[in-house]
Amino acid sequence: MMTKKLMKLFSPDSVVVIGASNSFDKLGCHVMKSLVGHYAGKIYPINPKGGKVWNLDSYHSIGEVPGEIDLAIIVVPAALVPETLHQCGEKGVKGAVLITAGFREIEDSQGAVLQEKIRKICDQYELPVIGPNTSGFANIAFGIDASFTSEFCQLEKGGVAIISQSGGLCHLCGFLAIHQRMGVSSLMSLGNRLNVGFPEAVQFFIEEDEATKVIALYIEGLDEPRKLLDMARLLRGKNPIVAYKSGKSVKSDSASKFHTGSLAGNHEIWRGAFRQAGILEVTSAEELIDTAKVLDSCALARGNHIAVLSGQAGPGIIAADALEAYGLSLSPFSSATKEKINEYLPPIVIRTNPVDMGPVWYNPKAMFDILNAVLEDEGIDGAIFINLYASANLSLASAMAEHIQNIDAFKKPVISVITSPPGVWDEGIKGLDRKKGIAILPTPERAAKAMSNLWKANLLSAREN
Amino acid sequence: MERLLLGVEAFDFLDKEGIPILKTVLAKDENEAVMIASQIGFPVALKVSSPDIVHKTETGGIKVFLKDEDDVRTAFTDIVHTFTSNHPGKRLEGVIVQKLGKGLELIVGTMTDQQFGPVIMFGLGGIFVEALKDVSFRLIPLEARDAKEIMEDLQGYKILKNPRGEKVDLAAVENFILQGSHLVEKHPEIREMDLNPIFASPKRRRSLRCPDQNRVEFVGKCSTMRGRLLG
Repeated sequence: MMTKKLMKLFSPDSVVVIGASNSFDKLGCHVMKSLVGHYAGKIYPINPKGGKVWNLDSYHSIGEVPGEIDLAIIVVPAALVPETLHQCGEKGVKGAVLITAGFREIEDSQGAVLQEKIRKICDQYELPVIGPNTSGFANIAFGIDASFTSEFCQLEKGGVAIISQSGGLCHLCGFLAIHQRMGVSSLMSLGNRLNVGFPEAVQFFIEEDEATKVIALYIEGLDEPRKLLDMARLLRGKNPIVAYKSGKSVKSDSASKFHTGSLAGNHEIWRGAFRQAGILEVTSAEELIDTAKVLDSCALARGNHIAVLSGQAGPGIIAADALEAYGLSLSPFSSATKEKINEYLPPIVIRTNPVDMGPVWYNPKAMFDILNAVLEDEGIDGAIFINLYASANLSLASAMAEHIQNIDAFKKPVISVITSPPGVWDEGIKGLDRKKGIAILPTPERAAKAMSNLWKANLLSAREN
Repeated sequence: MERLLLGVEAFDFLDKEGIPILKTVLAKDENEAVMIASQIGFPVALKVSSPDIVHKTETGGIKVFLKDEDDVRTAFTDIVHTFTSNHPGKRLEGVIVQKLGKGLELIVGTMTDQQFGPVIMFGLGGIFVEALKDVSFRLIPLEARDAKEIMEDLQGYKILKNPRGEKVDLAAVENFILQGSHLVEKHPEIREMDLNPIFASPKRRRSLRCPDQNRVEFVGKCSTMRGRLLG
């Protein structure tokens, strides 16, 4: 029952915006901005004053709306929320996004009382609610932005579901994802989690959402963390789950009492619990997006033997340093691989791992032949492939995009660092990024970190050890 | 009612539950201590046993590396004297005579976290815990994989894998951690437990005399258990 309703909530055929507005200083205006012109389903603005809202006929109340409503986006003051939810329930709305704040998160204890009141109302109608105190969600794969930030429409379609407790982190991750060209299936903030929390959302996007391949979580704190961890353990081996948990400095009373009072921080328990549940922990928003992107676009690293191929020696050397620091190793190539590399490269450069591809820097086909040879090597589990822009090599990126061929057939990850000033290689980079098992990240160090996470994710995904 | 379980009471309980404990006997007087020590074999350690004292080291209640009868007599007198002068009115059950632990020092603790409920902690003993705070946690109950991974999580895992060339019996350590988890599962009334130190011996050739001998033994420098223990 709930699953069916969540499907309609996240992929609605019709939406009401309760508290829709034309005034720029009202959130109800920005929710309309996200929908109008982007969303293909029916939009019904609700405003007691009537008239046109964003050039659409508005309704005084939800009861006046003709036909069925799948999703209600609510942006009315907190005091009006209980009555609004009753009206939604009576209308048979399938799900709600409750953007309104002023519930459990506020200092005034009346906030918690009001939240308990609306929880009972939603139980009565079996109405799933995202929020309260949420910035909303955007289902990029389906084509709806049900948030107050219309720029989420700029996200590229892909396989990562971003599930954030906080609206702010949802925005930060969304914007980073746009900059990094990460493909997103859905993104959302869960806010106060009235009846749709992390376990419910994770289960839904793994089991029911075909577009989702990777789950990226941002967690601040949970009353009952075991529910999420048990769910993750149950779903282990299906879609990788990556989590960024804040609040490391907070120590709970019971934890700090342990032993001499100096050992146990709550976060230490979270770290262990994440690994126990098969969840990959990351330590920054940037790493969350980098990791989710490569998990979505590349194969997992089945082992820790990585090749580094670079058009410039320096970036290759720092990639090698970073890989070793993260527990990966740069293994020697097989003699067959060496022979192939030597066909292209003269003995004036480093031809062992890391490989300096300088001499063939104007020859994208040769660089891809070298990459192919290395991926074919049974002793290699993945590759970092680096090329930086120089004015003399203006057309390299677009020429590379033509030679990309069947890199994905090797089922080994290739993380590429192809960096240029804005504007010059943009088209070429677009032609390479997230294509044929290749993902592009901005620096050698970040590529190395992401590669180590592809290896860790492979270990975590195994149901048996 | 919640209470602290210390000294021989804690050892007896753990022993009954199958936790491998170094040979430990309570002596009421000096002569008894010498007799027990000769039976166990030197060197031994002597520890004060009082239901009123948690941390024995800080209170001068532990003497180790006692190599003969004279050492034991001196240590016994010292411990009792220090105890009675420092803790007037506290109960003294006697002095525990214990076989001296050998091997790599480890600790296993369990606690009840407000959010997570029962959890287990594992670490290398001594400075690794005290100064470097190199410990890792898992939620109880643990599976075999978790016991293996809780060890890998430590910064000092390399030490565990290869302390000065002698291999610790990692399978036995794994098994010990699982025993800790099972114990708390079976006795949810245990709110907190501190098994410290645990000695992990190097892996030895299988002996015909004791093929099943566990390579991890708990000594209990300051074993504390908090909870409502039955029986």
